[in-house]
Order: sequence, then structure tokens, then C-alpha cells
Amino acid sequence: MKYIPFFGCMMATKYPWFEAAVRQSLARVGMELIDVDGFTCCPDPIYFQARDKMEWYTIAARNISLAEDLGYDIVTTCSGCTATLSEVNLALKEDETLRKEINRRLKRINREYKGSIDVRHAVTVLRDDFGIDRVEETVTRPLEGLKVAVHYGCHLLKPSRVMRVDDPDHPTILETLLRAIGAEPIHHEMTLLCCGRACITDSIPEHMLGDILDAVKSHDADCMGLICPTCFDEFDLGQIVLGRKLGKTFDVPIVYYFQLLGIAQGMGTEEVGLHMHKVKLDRVFDVVKR
Amino acid sequence: MKSQPGEKHQVAFEFREKLNAIAEGFRHNYCYQCGACVGDCPASNYSTGFNPRLILLKALLGFADELISPDSEIWNCTNCYTCSERCPQDVRPVDVIIALKNICIKEGKAPDLVRNVSDAVLVSGITTKMTTLMERRRQEFGLPPIKGYPVDDLKKLLAGD
Repeated sequence: MKYIPFFGCMMATKYPWFEAAVRQSLARVGMELIDVDGFTCCPDPIYFQARDKMEWYTIAARNISLAEDLGYDIVTTCSGCTATLSEVNLALKEDETLRKEINRRLKRINREYKGSIDVRHAVTVLRDDFGIDRVEETVTRPLEGLKVAVHYGCHLLKPSRVMRVDDPDHPTILETLLRAIGAEPIHHEMTLLCCGRACITDSIPEHMLGDILDAVKSHDADCMGLICPTCFDEFDLGQIVLGRKLGKTFDVPIVYYFQLLGIAQGMGTEEVGLHMHKVKLDRVFDVVKR
Repeated sequence: MKSQPGEKHQVAFEFREKLNAIAEGFRHNYCYQCGACVGDCPASNYSTGFNPRLILLKALLGFADELISPDSEIWNCTNCYTCSERCPQDVRPVDVIIALKNICIKEGKAPDLVRNVSDAVLVSGITTKMTTLMERRRQEFGLPPIKGYPVDDLKKLLAGD
């Protein structure tokens, strides 16, 4: 099955090893990714949406229209891109007046938004289009004994009216996908807390970050698993910065789900860039070696 | 709220009209102040200042001075959308807060950070920066090169609004 990948700015320019893990692991499941030239920033759901919502709709609609030319659904790998492209896609499909206004703007560059495709995060496509059994079939090295604390992040699930992925208060999609690769998901009391990236002050996200990391540690997890490069940024580099400020070492390794999927399918830890992380992933390496 | 007990206020309907004219801003009218948005709001739970119900109340009363400012509490919204899940009135508080932020930007009253990050999209097509180091990293990980971002298209697209 064919999909158009939308990797977004963060992954392309800060975490290319995530992109490598995504490309290879999804190919093994049978997802054919057709690259499209000319995508820009989704644009980002926090700052750009805060700037001007109509401009936000317009740029997102341009991105979606590029994929519409090929006629395949967009698959996203960042929760921020998922939030923007899903919300704009639904708003323009539902609201004819808005669609007309955005198309009036798109005409300036001879483009048109049609509302002919869907936008979904890669984990949703894995579950719904390929199935958990298919994911399991691709596993050659089950990550048995690896305890992964789940972090959902906000924008895979909410607003549920838009995302329609899972129960926002009791999701199971990531736990299911972790079990499929042989890992043991740990659902802890802070599993659904936001990473705090959008707040303008430091104190709110710092306290949230501290609580999440402490919760992960208290459950004796080997690492924290997530599906968004912005959450990753907040937790990997973020815990070093916060640790310095507090005179404390959290030492909670963070992994992106598709790195684990790739490893379980036989990719090397360096191929998925585990050596690039700020917090070292010794426990993951131990499991892989066994 | 800055007002003192017993002090009288006129509802500033002109501010509410301004908010109604921004995308999704009209939703503030649906709020009946039940407070369902507050309990699971992470910014409320991790600070004393942020309260989505009070932000909506200020919008309903038209307290522009407290909402439209780079120091306004609205900038501490986590954008997690939990309030939108809880709201029985479909106010979608995050979207109202975003509409308030749009007014801040229009009136030059947004924090510099917000302006700078969103400006970057129009200058380079992305919010982050592509560096030669990252171009090399992309090669090392066997990834296709980034062919550049169509900034001219974006400029044309947004011209005239």
C-alpha cells in the first residue's frame, strides 16, 4: 500500500536517524512511501497557529494539496504535524465557507485543496491498515524483557473529535504496538501528561518533566518510548538541562517507537541512531545483545 | 482578576466582537463557566496563575488588557486539548486561547519568541534550521537530500491578506 510521508522540520533537520528508522521499519511492514517535493513546515500547531489561524490553514492546505496530486493518504511521524494536518484537513472538509476562502488564497499559486485524502500518524496506519499481526510477522528479534514506559504525547489523541485514533483517557494503541515487538509496555501515572513544550515559561514544563521522569524511574522502566520528535527533544536534551539546574541526574533513556520497531526487525542500533541520543541507552543495548 | 469587590464594570462588547471575528473565537460565547476545563488542565495543575475558566470569563467580560499582552497567562497554555475533551459546551478553550493569541500578534502584543519562530517559516519554509552538519548526517543515515523549501510560494500565498 502506498502513502505519502510527511516527516516535518524537526525530524528532517534535528533527528534524521528517526527518519531512517521510519523509512526502513515501515518498508518492512509493507508500506510503500512515495516522497513528494515541495512540502514546507506543516506549519507548526503552536507558534504558527498562534500567529494567524487563517495563514495556518492556508499553508497546511497547500501541503495537503501537494499530496492530493498523487492521490495517496499522508502518513505523519511527528505529533505536531499530525495535529496541524489532521485538524486543517477536517476543518476544510467540514466547512465549505472556510474551504472556499482557503482555495481563494491557494489560487495565487495555482493550487486547490480538494479534501480527497486523509492524514494519519504512522502508528495509526500500522494498527488500522496493516494490523498488529502484520507488525508481529516482521519481528526477527523480539525485545523480550525490555520495559518501555509509554508516553503518548497530546496530539496523537486529542482533540479526539479530530484525531479519532483511540480513547483519549484510556488509549491502548502504543501498548499494543510495543507488545507486538516483544517489549513490555509500562503504563504509569504520568503516561498521558503533556511534555509541556508549548508553555512560554520554564517553570510549568520543568515541573511536568520532573514528575514524568520520576514516575518512569519509580516503575523501574528501562527506557521511555514515544512517537513525537518534539516530545523526544523535551525529554532527552530536556532532562540534561533540568538535571543541571536541579543538581540531579535523571538518567531516563528516551526512544522513538520506530527505532525500537527497526531494531526488533533486525536493524542495527547504530542504523537507527541510538548512539546519537544524549541519554545513553545501555539497557536497550543489553536486550539487543542477548 | 484585578477588579475589587463591589466595583462596577461594563461588559466590553466591542472586545467580544473583535474575538468573534477571529477564526474559532466565537466559541467563547458558549461558555457557561462550569469549570470542567480546569481539573485536568496541566498548566493549571502546575501553576497558580493559569486557569482556562478564568481566561474564558475575562473574554466574556471583555477584559482585553489582561488577555492581550505578551505577559498574559494565555501563553502558558500547553495546547494539550484536554479542556476541549472535558468541555460540555464545545467551547474548545484551546481554540479560543489561540484566537486570543492571534489578536495579540495583530496588535504587536505577543512574546518575541512566538513572533520569531513563526517568522522563520516564512523566511526558510521551516521552523528549524537546516545545517551542513545535518545534511551530512542525512547522508550518513542513507536519507535523500532536502531539495530546499519553496519560500517564494509561501510569500505569494500569504500576500494580500
